[in-house]
Amino acid sequence: MSAVLRTQLRGVARRPARLLLTGLAVLVVSFVVYATVLAQEITKRSVLDGLSGTPAAVDLVARKGTLTTAELAAIGKLPGVAEAAGRMDAGGQIGNEYLQIVADPSTGPLAVSHLVSGRLATGPAEIAVSPRTVERLGLKPGTTAKVSLRFDKDGKPEAPTSLTVVGVVTGRDDYGFQAYASEPAVARMSGSDALNQIDVRLAPGADADGVRQQIDALVAAGVSKVKDGERPEVATGSQVRLEEARAKAKDVDSLFAVIGLFVAIAVVAAGLVAASTFRIVFAQRMRQLALLRAVGAGRGGITWSLAAEGALTGLVTGLAGVLLALGAGQLVPRVVAAFGPHVASPGLPIAPALLTVLLAVVLTVVAVVAPAFTAGKVSPLEALRGAGVTAGRRDIGKARWVFGLLLVVAAGLVAAYVFQGLPGPNPKDYNPSINLLAIVASGGLAFLALIALGPVLVRPVLAVLGTPVRRSGPVGRLAAGGVGGAPRRAAAVSVVVALGVTLISGCLVGGESIRVLADRQSSLSAPADYELTTNDDPIPATAVGQLQGRSELTHVVPYRRLAVTAGNGTDLQAVDVQLAAVPRLAGLDVAAGRIADLGPGKVVISAFMADNQGLHVGDKVTVVAGKRSMPLTVAAELSDVAPLASSMIIYPADMTRLGAPAGYSGLLADQAVAGEKGRSDGRRALTDAVGNHPWAINVLADQRDQINSELTILLAIALGLIGLTVLIAVVGVGTTTALSVVERVRESGLLRAVGLSRGALRAMLTTESALYGVIGAGLGLVLGVPYAWLAVQALGVNAPLTLPVGQLAVVFVILVLLTAAAGVLPARRAAKVSPVVALGAE
Amino acid sequence: MQTQFPPAAQDALAAVAAVDLVKVYGSGDTAVRALDGVTVGFTRAQFTAIMGPSGSGKSTLMHCLAGLDTATAGQALLGGTDLTRQSDRVLTRVRRERIGFIFQSFNLLPQLTAEQNILLPLELAGRKPDRHLFNHLTEALGITARLSHRPGELSGGQQQRVAVARALISRPEVVFADEPTGNLDSRSGAEVLLFLRNSVRELGQTVVMVTHDPGAAAYADRVVLLADGKVAGEIDRPDHGSVTEALRSLAVQR
Ligand SMILES: Nc1ncnc2c1ncn2[C@@H]1O[C@H](COP(=O)(O)OP(=O)(O)O)[C@@H](O)[C@H]1O
Ligand SMILES: [Mg+2]
Repeated sequence: MSAVLRTQLRGVARRPARLLLTGLAVLVVSFVVYATVLAQEITKRSVLDGLSGTPAAVDLVARKGTLTTAELAAIGKLPGVAEAAGRMDAGGQIGNEYLQIVADPSTGPLAVSHLVSGRLATGPAEIAVSPRTVERLGLKPGTTAKVSLRFDKDGKPEAPTSLTVVGVVTGRDDYGFQAYASEPAVARMSGSDALNQIDVRLAPGADADGVRQQIDALVAAGVSKVKDGERPEVATGSQVRLEEARAKAKDVDSLFAVIGLFVAIAVVAAGLVAASTFRIVFAQRMRQLALLRAVGAGRGGITWSLAAEGALTGLVTGLAGVLLALGAGQLVPRVVAAFGPHVASPGLPIAPALLTVLLAVVLTVVAVVAPAFTAGKVSPLEALRGAGVTAGRRDIGKARWVFGLLLVVAAGLVAAYVFQGLPGPNPKDYNPSINLLAIVASGGLAFLALIALGPVLVRPVLAVLGTPVRRSGPVGRLAAGGVGGAPRRAAAVSVVVALGVTLISGCLVGGESIRVLADRQSSLSAPADYELTTNDDPIPATAVGQLQGRSELTHVVPYRRLAVTAGNGTDLQAVDVQLAAVPRLAGLDVAAGRIADLGPGKVVISAFMADNQGLHVGDKVTVVAGKRSMPLTVAAELSDVAPLASSMIIYPADMTRLGAPAGYSGLLADQAVAGEKGRSDGRRALTDAVGNHPWAINVLADQRDQINSELTILLAIALGLIGLTVLIAVVGVGTTTALSVVERVRESGLLRAVGLSRGALRAMLTTESALYGVIGAGLGLVLGVPYAWLAVQALGVNAPLTLPVGQLAVVFVILVLLTAAAGVLPARRAAKVSPVVALGAE
Repeated sequence: MQTQFPPAAQDALAAVAAVDLVKVYGSGDTAVRALDGVTVGFTRAQFTAIMGPSGSGKSTLMHCLAGLDTATAGQALLGGTDLTRQSDRVLTRVRRERIGFIFQSFNLLPQLTAEQNILLPLELAGRKPDRHLFNHLTEALGITARLSHRPGELSGGQQQRVAVARALISRPEVVFADEPTGNLDSRSGAEVLLFLRNSVRELGQTVVMVTHDPGAAAYADRVVLLADGKVAGEIDRPDHGSVTEALRSLAVQR
């Protein structure tokens, strides 16, 4: 071991806590990486434990081919077969609702559904239903339902069959339209003897291979009797279960691949933080290193020993992180188990553990290289210089300037490429993936540029954003001076904060744009909570009047639909819905004109129609329906499609003049009371009105809610994962402040000596770390928002550009508070030091 | 022996005084009595040098008198206020408003310009700088051209002159200097000492300076000698020879 390395290591041994502090970011990220591995293990094991679709008792499976009930019966009689279950389902219709009837014994080891209440469906006209089906379709045990099970060639239902609900069962899936019946019953209902699959359970001690061959021969013989038959395969139950498990595990894996992406970003952030901490730590040792150089240590020796120290830091912190994650991984299933649900233990994946430690070492070595080289270049003269006046450099070298500017140009060029290739409002055959990839590349380049040019950006950004702090008084001025006086340190930390804020703000802006888009489209596709539609049995005004009288419903608005041609002869749909009466349609986006101007002789047209016919507000267009026609003036032009899948909205009187019959083609309504119960009640009111008419009820609200909640969940997951990067950034601010407090203990002493109070010193240091947050969050917003806009445009879905100012402000404030909080502890420690000790410190 | 107060301690003219001051570092076996019952007064508008062998307690005495450190026993009187009984808040105010400091090294904040460094105490006190005094100090110290520079761009002597200006800008009751010329070449040192003596003569400033350099002590009006944490003598109107002689006799006694 070289003498230089020995000296360094002795220093480390004297202050082991310092080593952990230096590598805290690496420790956290090792924890995150290994915890992710363990979480994946836990999830996989829990999923495989629980939800394999095929029952464990199934020994053999015939599937993927032509199978009939006759073969099922034959298989059941084979020696060695204890039981065989045929899988099939029939689709039926109750009124306008769909009902899936699944064949299942519901009892015994081959059952996929299990009785909850009532009794099993055994008779030919008996069914048991899932719990949600009871709710949704009103099929309580004991009721009899008329179900259309057979359909003619045109898809029209034939005479319905009466089925009796005898029980409630739970199955694997419950979408609210599941019923179960015995296999022969389902075969009779559907009028088909074709099976999807046959599950076989063997008698104890049976020769599995022998039975399998017999079944194989049997089903092969069956195929030849059928035209276009396909030969089924016979697989073992364990094989099928494994396949199902694999498919599930694949879902888990692809989920974790996405999580891995965010973890990778956190790893990069940790690398940046580690590099900046090493820079600070080495700068503190400048005099000591210079002394070593003065007494004959070589430049290379110093660089090497510092790099070796970095590797050691990586090893120790990586190990610590992995061990902590392991502890948490063993603890979590136990804690969760105490609250009920069973969660599998992650076991002890050795290889990933070693890889994580290796990653930590490599990460730290990469992070330490540049600071070690800089430190190795220290001049021996530095040792002789007076202490304390070696303020950090404020500028960056020429090479770094050039490199940084090149990166800016490259990022700009890539962004410009994307910009000129942005799709128009209604793109055809547009594939966004290349543009999105280019945006990621451009963003990456811009971020590298930020790292390179950071130190020169700190002061201008501080000049803008730090003004209120500077104005606040001498403490604020000192804090701003402290940050601006060491721009390299400030840049190193702020850049990591900026990374987190870039990702968060990008997510928020993108998410908000998509939400507005989804809102806009759902108010077009789902303008009300319910829609009642009909094809050839118009809804009479009396029915509408009845519905308007129901207390469960509000905003009941009927409309008529008419097929027309306009101007150049294009076939179009016209509706006469009263936009003002439907709350979601009243605020429809217009490209020009005013919706309120719609009246006799006027028309509101969709963007498509405006485009197609070359029409503008004020233009006249002749609308033709059959033999009638009339000229209409364009009152408004919508910015997107028109509601109810139409192209124009015209005045009811005009609609009548164009020959529309008096009966309505549809009706919109909202639930009067919010909530799930209000929705069911409203639906029941509609069902009552429908009676025996072939009118279809659509619960549009369900659809809208689902889109909304999916979007919210996606956004929450994305933000949670980005939280990892933010965590690393906060750790970075904390370590930097802690280390710079050590570095600046004499500065603190001097300030105290000339009359800065303890509280003011604390406030000053806390403000400094908050300023790191201000700079970082500012830079992050500047990068994140435009890139998110570009990405939203590049998606080609015609989404609007939004700026969720409130959310972004909250992010800004939270980040600043977090970084300030990271500085509180170090600041308290610094303020405790007596001014005399501080002045004596080397 | 130290129970009787020398007249200087009660002198109405004393700007700052120690009465039976004791300072113990550590405890038990490792306890060090850095000050062992020091009683001494420093006359207003006088330039006093504290001298003595290394480790005799010079810096400790100064720190206690300046409210930088608290004594174990005895009194540290600044214009009638006993600093040993005060809270950190009061001491902070005292340092900010009534005392000026000059250290041997690391006198300036690296991120502030020379001018900002000079005005720092006033800024902390929220007081408006006296432009007239500022101009006078910077001109007399010859640093007018250097005001916009940062400490890293100044020579050691220039840095120390900036520190002197900072110590005087708030018109403190006492200026303390701990080996202010220790890091300077003899010419820069002489300039700083000359300025301190002039500020005593012309502005009526009270200056207390710790030094081990007999040449530096010769600029003072009076020398107080310390040895082993006790006052070991005094020299009025010192010169290089008398100071050297006194120090030699101190060394022989030990
Ligand atoms: N913080 C401290 N802890 C322990 N002992 C100290 C401390 N500061 C000073 N001393 C001791 O007190 C004595 C006087 O120190 P000091 O006043 O610095 O001496 P001088 O300035 O005269 O050289 C010395 O013996 C020194 O070792
Ligand atoms: Mg000393």
